[in-house]
Amino acid sequence: MRTSAGAAPKFLNLLQIRFPIGAIASIGHRISGVLLVLSLPLLALALDRSLRGEAEFAALRDLVSAPWRAALLVLFVWAATHHLLAGIRHLLMDAGIGSGLPQARTSAWAAIVAAAAVALIAAARWLS
Amino acid sequence: MRLFLGQRAWVLQRLTALVQLFLLALGAATLLIAPPLAYERWYALATSTHGAVLIVVFFATLALHGWIGVRDIALDYVHPPFLRLAVLTVVGVILFAIVIRVVLTMAAHFAGGA
Amino acid sequence: MRLSIYRFNPESDLKPHMQDYELAPEADDKKLLDALMRLKTIDDSLSFRRSCREGVCGSDAMNINGRNGLACLTPLAGLKEPVVLRPLPGFPVIRDLIVDMTQFFAHYHSIKPYLINDTAPPERERLQSPAEREKLNGLYECILCACCSSFCPSFWWNPDKFIGPAGLLQAYRFISDSRDTATAERLAYLDDVYRLFRCRTIMNCTEVCPKGLSPSHAIERIRQALVRESS
Ligand code: HEM
Ligand code: HEM
Ligand code: SF4
Ligand code: SF4
Ligand code: FES
Repeated sequence: MRTSAGAAPKFLNLLQIRFPIGAIASIGHRISGVLLVLSLPLLALALDRSLRGEAEFAALRDLVSAPWRAALLVLFVWAATHHLLAGIRHLLMDAGIGSGLPQARTSAWAAIVAAAAVALIAAARWLS
Repeated sequence: MRLFLGQRAWVLQRLTALVQLFLLALGAATLLIAPPLAYERWYALATSTHGAVLIVVFFATLALHGWIGVRDIALDYVHPPFLRLAVLTVVGVILFAIVIRVVLTMAAHFAGGA
Repeated sequence: MRLSIYRFNPESDLKPHMQDYELAPEADDKKLLDALMRLKTIDDSLSFRRSCREGVCGSDAMNINGRNGLACLTPLAGLKEPVVLRPLPGFPVIRDLIVDMTQFFAHYHSIKPYLINDTAPPERERLQSPAEREKLNGLYECILCACCSSFCPSFWWNPDKFIGPAGLLQAYRFISDSRDTATAERLAYLDDVYRLFRCRTIMNCTEVCPKGLSPSHAIERIRQALVRESS
């Protein structure tokens, strides 16, 4: 019997699918891209403040004094690092460099681990 | 709707990424040559002709790159046409406003010279 | 061995459910498909497709412990138990492990999977040099099992508009063919946000292709050809 596509169920439970490392790097790139877009207004405001005088400039340096702001900054550092590294990986692969499966797996691991390490260092500096 | 072109958006996303990569490298190099960055030096750099233009270019390519990225995400996850148009319009307007804001900031402090 | 299998009977079930099985494989049950065939002698209501039982027909693609593969090429040895079997992700389920491939084949047909050449045919066949023939390696071997397309997140979100890795690999197979004269038309058809440009180079397709092919590489080459075309 053929059921119509509307009535037929579909298996698509993402928690029951085993994702390869490249897929993890890719969803991380997407999430970090969204975080960076969300941080753009703040970046523009920070630029404005940084030019308004010595005191405002110094105030920006003091961003990490409040824990919640420090936590957001750690998140931003992760997003920027992951997006940058995964982005460079994409550009190289588009040019045909390292687009074979073994190299792509290695570079996906490298981007994920390096971004996590940078974020951990930032957390250690600002959150303790 | 030609808003949803295929190759052009893909190429633009890569070109803007390359421009940002270059500008970030330039910024990092500037910092490395003479750290730490003090207010006077930052102000002089940022408000020079080179600095101001590069900062505006940086934000403009960022906004374009980000918009293409958000468009890709909306094409994947936001399927009702009206909702999709709404998301893309809101994000587009906000990103455009950000670029205008940056232009105004730089114009207010513009010093000229090299 | 223990198995947990996705069951859905459109005539009696409103929703799919998982059913557990215990099975004692015999000595010459080497592959997962052998176990499924044996299971079928115990429970003949269990439905799955299979034909060649040697990775040639592409009919027994399924999701095996969370990854797509062919049951006939998956060794029993080393499979984590219980072996969890589900139908190909994102495809409409007809019954148990059998999915509806209509849309998948519609995408395949859309890329005109045949040689197009309007020049007068030569007396004998259109010849290729060994180098020209070499370019088809890694492309022509595709058995259209759909392991790749059904493991591609971009295909999950836009299964009606994105051609998917299998169709794009085939598109590139004809773009690369020295005997085909429709390269420009083929590229123009693919230059579209949905048909080609939903691919985000996740490479899930290449990860699971049971024939060891690389659809993501074919897609990369199509994009490069498009850039060359327009510059
Ligand atoms: C040096 C800096 C950057 C590089 C090299 C870079 C690179 C890239 C590349 C190559 C893509 C396309 C990936 C794909 O096709 O899936 C991409 C996507 C994206 N980028 Fe960037 N990017 C950079 C900075 C930024 C910044 C600062 C933002 C935020 C404003 C941003 C936001 C996005 C978004 C939202 C996407 C879409 C993600 C997706 O399609 O899944 N990027 N980036
Ligand atoms: C009445 C006579 C025959 C009938 C009805 C018959 C039928 C078939 C069928 C149904 C297949 C499977 C085709 C497929 O789906 O791949 C097949 C395959 C094959 N037959 Fe026959 N056959 C006959 C005679 C022969 C003879 C005389 C030979 C050899 C001298 C032969 C050699 C083969 C071979 C080598 C294959 C495998 C082809 C492949 O790799 O797909 N057959 N035959
Ligand atoms: S490319 Fe590989 S996984 Fe995809 S349909 Fe062809 S054989 Fe199957
Ligand atoms: S590389 Fe492209 S086609 Fe292959 S799984 Fe990823 S998004 Fe899909
Ligand atoms: S049964 Fe033919 S490919 Fe597995």
